[in-house]
Amino acid sequence: MSAWARLRRNRLFWIGAGMLGSAILVATLASVIAPYDPYAQVRVTVSDIYVGPSGTHLLGTDDAGKDVLSGLIYGARVSLLVGFTAALISLFIGGVIGIIAGYRGGRTGNLLMRFTDFFLVIPDLALQIVIVAIVGQSLRNIILVIGALGWTTTARLVRAQTLTVRERKFVQRAKAIGAGDLHVLIHHVFPQVVPLMLANTVLVISLAILSESTLAFIGLGDPTVISWGQMLNFAFTRGAVSAGAWWALMPPGLAIVWVVLGTTLLGNAAEEVLNPRMTRHHLEPEAPLPPPDASTAAGPVPDTVLAIRDLRVGFEADGGELMAIDRVSFDVRPGESLGLVGESGCGKTTAMLGSLRLLPPGGHIVSGAVWHDGRDLARLDSGELRDLRWDSLSVVFQGAMNALNPVQRVGAQITEAIQLHKPETDDAAARGQARRLLELVGMSPDWADQYPHQFSGGMRQRAMIALALACNPSVVVADEPTTALDVMIQAQVMDLLVRLREEFGMALVLITHDLGVVAETCDRVVVMYGGVVAEQGTVAEVFSDPLHPYTRLLLQAFPDIDDPDRALVSIPGAPPRLDDLPTGCRFAPRCPQAFERCGQERPADYQVGDGRRVSCFLVEEMSRV
Amino acid sequence: MRTRTKLVLISLLAVLALVAAACGGDETTDTSGAGTTATTQPGGAATGGTVRIGWGGAPADLNPGNGVLAEDYVLYELIYDTPISIDLDGNFIPELATDWTVSDDGLTWTLTLRDDAVFHDGTPVTSEDVKYSIEIFRDYEDWGGFLGAYAYYFTAVEAPDPTTVVMTTDEPLGAFEAQMVFMYIVPKHIWDPAGDPVAFTNDEMIGSGSFKLAELRQGEFVRLEKNADYWGGAPLIDEAVFQTYENADARVQALINGDADMITEFPNTAIATLNTAADVKVVQGAPLAPELRDIFFNVVEPDNCPTDDGVCSGHPALRDVQVRRALAHGVDKPQLIDVGLLGLGDPGLGLVPTGLPQFFAEGLVAQDYAFDLAEGNALLDAAGYVDTDGDGIRECPDGVECGPTGDLTLRLNYPTDIDEAPRLAELLKGWWGDLGVAVEITGLDPDTLTSVCCPTFDYDVIIWGWGSDPDPGFLLSVLTCDEVPTGTSETGYCNAEYDELFAEQAVATDPAARRDIIIEMQRIALEDVPYIIPYYQQATQAYRTDRFTGWQDSASKVALEDPTSLNVIRPVG
Amino acid sequence: MSRGKLLLRKFAWALVTVMVVVTFNFFLFRVLPGDPAKAGVKDPRITPQQVAALQERFGLDKPVFLNLEEGPWYDSQYFRYFGALAQGDLGTSYSFKNRTVAELLSRSIVNTVWLVLPAQLLAIMAGVALGLLAAWKRGTKIDVSALTFGLFTWSLPTFFLGIILLFVGSRYLGFPIGGRVTVGGAPLSAWSQAGDVLGHLFLPTLTFTLVLLGEYLLIMRSSVVEVFSEDYILTAKAKGLSTIEIIRRHGLRNAMLPIVTLIALNLGFTVSGAIQVETVFSWPGLGKLTVDAVSQRDYPLLQGAFLLLAVSVIAANLIAELIYLRLDPRVTEV
Repeated sequence: MSAWARLRRNRLFWIGAGMLGSAILVATLASVIAPYDPYAQVRVTVSDIYVGPSGTHLLGTDDAGKDVLSGLIYGARVSLLVGFTAALISLFIGGVIGIIAGYRGGRTGNLLMRFTDFFLVIPDLALQIVIVAIVGQSLRNIILVIGALGWTTTARLVRAQTLTVRERKFVQRAKAIGAGDLHVLIHHVFPQVVPLMLANTVLVISLAILSESTLAFIGLGDPTVISWGQMLNFAFTRGAVSAGAWWALMPPGLAIVWVVLGTTLLGNAAEEVLNPRMTRHHLEPEAPLPPPDASTAAGPVPDTVLAIRDLRVGFEADGGELMAIDRVSFDVRPGESLGLVGESGCGKTTAMLGSLRLLPPGGHIVSGAVWHDGRDLARLDSGELRDLRWDSLSVVFQGAMNALNPVQRVGAQITEAIQLHKPETDDAAARGQARRLLELVGMSPDWADQYPHQFSGGMRQRAMIALALACNPSVVVADEPTTALDVMIQAQVMDLLVRLREEFGMALVLITHDLGVVAETCDRVVVMYGGVVAEQGTVAEVFSDPLHPYTRLLLQAFPDIDDPDRALVSIPGAPPRLDDLPTGCRFAPRCPQAFERCGQERPADYQVGDGRRVSCFLVEEMSRV
Repeated sequence: MRTRTKLVLISLLAVLALVAAACGGDETTDTSGAGTTATTQPGGAATGGTVRIGWGGAPADLNPGNGVLAEDYVLYELIYDTPISIDLDGNFIPELATDWTVSDDGLTWTLTLRDDAVFHDGTPVTSEDVKYSIEIFRDYEDWGGFLGAYAYYFTAVEAPDPTTVVMTTDEPLGAFEAQMVFMYIVPKHIWDPAGDPVAFTNDEMIGSGSFKLAELRQGEFVRLEKNADYWGGAPLIDEAVFQTYENADARVQALINGDADMITEFPNTAIATLNTAADVKVVQGAPLAPELRDIFFNVVEPDNCPTDDGVCSGHPALRDVQVRRALAHGVDKPQLIDVGLLGLGDPGLGLVPTGLPQFFAEGLVAQDYAFDLAEGNALLDAAGYVDTDGDGIRECPDGVECGPTGDLTLRLNYPTDIDEAPRLAELLKGWWGDLGVAVEITGLDPDTLTSVCCPTFDYDVIIWGWGSDPDPGFLLSVLTCDEVPTGTSETGYCNAEYDELFAEQAVATDPAARRDIIIEMQRIALEDVPYIIPYYQQATQAYRTDRFTGWQDSASKVALEDPTSLNVIRPVG
Repeated sequence: MSRGKLLLRKFAWALVTVMVVVTFNFFLFRVLPGDPAKAGVKDPRITPQQVAALQERFGLDKPVFLNLEEGPWYDSQYFRYFGALAQGDLGTSYSFKNRTVAELLSRSIVNTVWLVLPAQLLAIMAGVALGLLAAWKRGTKIDVSALTFGLFTWSLPTFFLGIILLFVGSRYLGFPIGGRVTVGGAPLSAWSQAGDVLGHLFLPTLTFTLVLLGEYLLIMRSSVVEVFSEDYILTAKAKGLSTIEIIRRHGLRNAMLPIVTLIALNLGFTVSGAIQVETVFSWPGLGKLTVDAVSQRDYPLLQGAFLLLAVSVIAANLIAELIYLRLDPRVTEV
């Protein structure tokens, strides 16, 4: 969904827009809606001063006998004008400095950033006071002063963004083909930097409005011009409070809050939408567990260390739920190495993480069961599940870049797992075990005292493996363990996994899209496509005699070392979108052997042999359903 | 670990708060120790207690030669004596001097001092101290305050015996008493050994007045305790504390809450609230030191522009007296009083305020310029200023170089420390706009305003004000030619006839004759109208009726912080 | 580069910045209109001789930057000022004629610290706690309420909040009107004195706390959500740690890193931020002193105050960077 669409749905956005918009509206229509002209000369007597709200003056009168409501309405003009204009100046200065500093980099960039830091050091308000004292209290000067001092955050932000963008490939490409700096700036850098500045823009506007009101309150505003800050200054210095004239104090103050709050809400909403980091997180409360169903009734499956039965996992999406995997079933036998393969997005990771209830926020098990050690993990009480975690079921996550806590030593992260599940282990023993584990995965045990950022990619992955083995689990799920590594390291890590599995005897579920690795190292394989299982069986069975058209095409797409001249065939088309699933067989649209029934009905998991299942109508006759 | 750290921090904070509170050190010796609860004299009314007075500023300088703030002077009045004092009705009364005479040629003055005056450290006050005080104020050039101007006249001071002082002047001095009123007598035996009197911080403030300095916390409060050995009789209260409340509303609230027993100033808008508050009495009247608000024009002639600093950029139209008179007709004084002071002021006339009744030109009130826009417009028409281009602003006639716009656009400045000034400026802009004169208003802080005013004369119109001495001499000097290059003349006005009269009154010894001269001077000033005086401010103070009684609230001047009140108030009950 | 060298470089840079700031201050105040030679004398009756004497006394008769007339080239106001500064002499105030700037500043900064420090601590504790809560319960009513609260207090002008609290507090709740202590009356025991000071501190501290709270809340919330969406949190979850344990052992330390920097920066700035609170509550601190010094054109005091403000910000920055270096092992170049 586009950013704008997401923004539209954000309630705070509308509230903020409404607040700011109403203020702008009032300011624009001031001459029409104000009951009096606050700039007009009116003869008053003492009895007209600080009169409370009445029919003729809805918000009472101020210290000069003038109508507060009219002042409030006209004041919107100045407060908003100063705020926006000053903000514009700040944004411009900050933007220019930031872009130059970020784009040029090096000496110039550093110098500019030092200059920015220097400005940050000078006390803001005090400096504003001094400068306004120098240049005089006119509206123009106040705008200039606020604008000239408010650019530092923008500069820093823009510089950071520009630096990132500058390194991006498309910018480098543009420069490589000889695009001038200005061209690059306008066509490539700006479009990337500007949208991310939205939140900062709003912040700058809020601060500018606050600055104006503060300066005016202190007495440095332009007293010939009505602004909310100036109204507060008059009220405060001319004894509104002791006169009990709350109507001269509260409205302008609340008006400032109204506008600033509205602007801030807007900015906050924009930040949430545009900044991809403001998404959901892993510690949100878990979705409710699925109710018991047919799979629950069926009971545990013997001779398996993990048995997934008719698992359906859904994800929250606008207006409903998308089914990421739809009735997936397969077993993991004790001590075996199972390969789980398929294209990106086919649901293989979801199937495993879902089974372990480690789904990202928004995902949950809809139905089905996951049997382990006689218990259904999908419906297990969370406390019991936590006890099982790592002790019996551990995971080596994909892309170990950030899978380890960067501010904690690696050894400590391993001992934590050990002592969590075997609390009787004392510190020294746990530390010793951690060191031994690291040795086991081929590293010097002294690495236990180092931080993750000091490890290379391959070493980090090995440390993750060491961690996964810490409690001697019965199942280790390795999610694309070699994807981010280079070929040589890949081989090392895979060898390591194989060796460890033989030593420890745990079951290994290897999630990968690399058929070659599966062929070499796995006992059995499960092929997934579009959120369902296409085919499963032993590696020998499936690879030598693939029965599902998808498997066949998959194998054809992979190079065969024994037949190097065989042409590689890519599969035409693309995997189905989860929000636009085909009726019937998921693969039908791309299947070269599809017939009419394929588009109408979804094929069942036909059993073709012991542990061999294929989900295709073509094998219907072969199967004993 | 983290929670523990937080706990430690909190407890540390609490301990430090206690330590800080306990170590509430003072900057001068804390000599008080006596309890300050009221006691009842046997057979008489209660005495003792501490009166708490709230004011808006704070004394900045304890050295009477350097002090310039009103708050400084309040302290000096209570802690020091002067040879002659002035009562609330404006009469000169003896203080340290019981009697004073002048020789026939008017050049030698003899003071007879009382013999029972004693400094706070027990040392008697003698003529040596008087001689010393006058001499240091006269001789040192870099005093920051005003006392030099009073001591200036006395070329020789002798102390032939401990209770006699003989002072000589070069010319007869018409206002002798007025110079003595601020001659604070300081103890020679303390000041002399300290070396340079200008640099002397005078932290202990040893004087001979009815109160002694007990404790001072800069910007927070001053605590005075009674001088039990005062020659005029000890005050009936034990202590007087002046507490600073910068925020005017806070001050008012302090009185209503009972945190203060008296407040020396408050915004006029609070009067209604104070009048309805329980046990609070509001006192209105003339201030002890009369104050005036003025609007003045830059009328310095180009060939009289000070050579050193003068810029002299005043609008040429203002040098035409008809224009000034027209503008004077565009000032609605009652309206300015209503809006600016909430009605608490008297309509102004000249630089000599109603607070100096002997010199106020009562008879000239009828000649003052009434608020009459028609008349003002007529005057401007007659003077040749006509709006030729229809923009509502009158253009200047041929021969008058009015700058780039060529019309009557005037710059109006005011100091930002006068709270009602923006409102006054606003009103002026409106009225003068109706006269076809455009006004550009800019508020400047006092220092900047001084730098554009005088002797630079880089302005058109300024709203400001003056506080008056008991003697009008200084204010009258402001319109003399001599003061144009010194910066004392704000307008650059120069009139030989006026200067002659000024010289005459300075040496006139007959009060009636002097008065006539001064009235005549004011008439000239009124005709030439370099100054428009909108009003003389009234003073407003308030006190709690349930704590102390005896406040001098019926005198013609309102000054409850003056010794006249503080020496005589006593606790209620 | 090594940690040690990095530290040295940062320290050196901080020093350079201080010198630049001092120079900037020095010339900034010379640019102000108004005659510095009058040295803050208000009396228009002052004679030219008095002016000359004053100028000599305050050293204002010397050239401003370089002495190209008689005497050595470094005998100028600028170098004299630096020389005095090196000896710890900040000069004498113009408006408080016989008090040194150092004296005035030290007293006022103590008062400001008593106001600012508790407020900062409270704001940090409350802001961090609420921000954490809001982020953890992201999307729920708790989150929305906390977020709205944070945004609201952030949007309030400080002086406005102060005025409201002052009058509600003093009128209806019996809090003192302003100032630091109650004066007069019988001498109080140490406990009562402490209580008195705390009573006077309460409203200004509350004002300041609320004003600072919002920012901490918002930043903490944002930081926590970011941290909680990191992969290592998922690893911790997979390990079998409970949510509380995950927050405590893995989440907080990472989430607090940006807060630490923010705290240090804010501490540096709070002196100038206290201007508004000190004005409303008549609190005799550095902020109020600065504002008064501007209107009085009290150059020595102004220069001293600005120097103090700048140095505290620079020092706070330095400390922030040092703390960050300590807390985040990944950092070798900030």
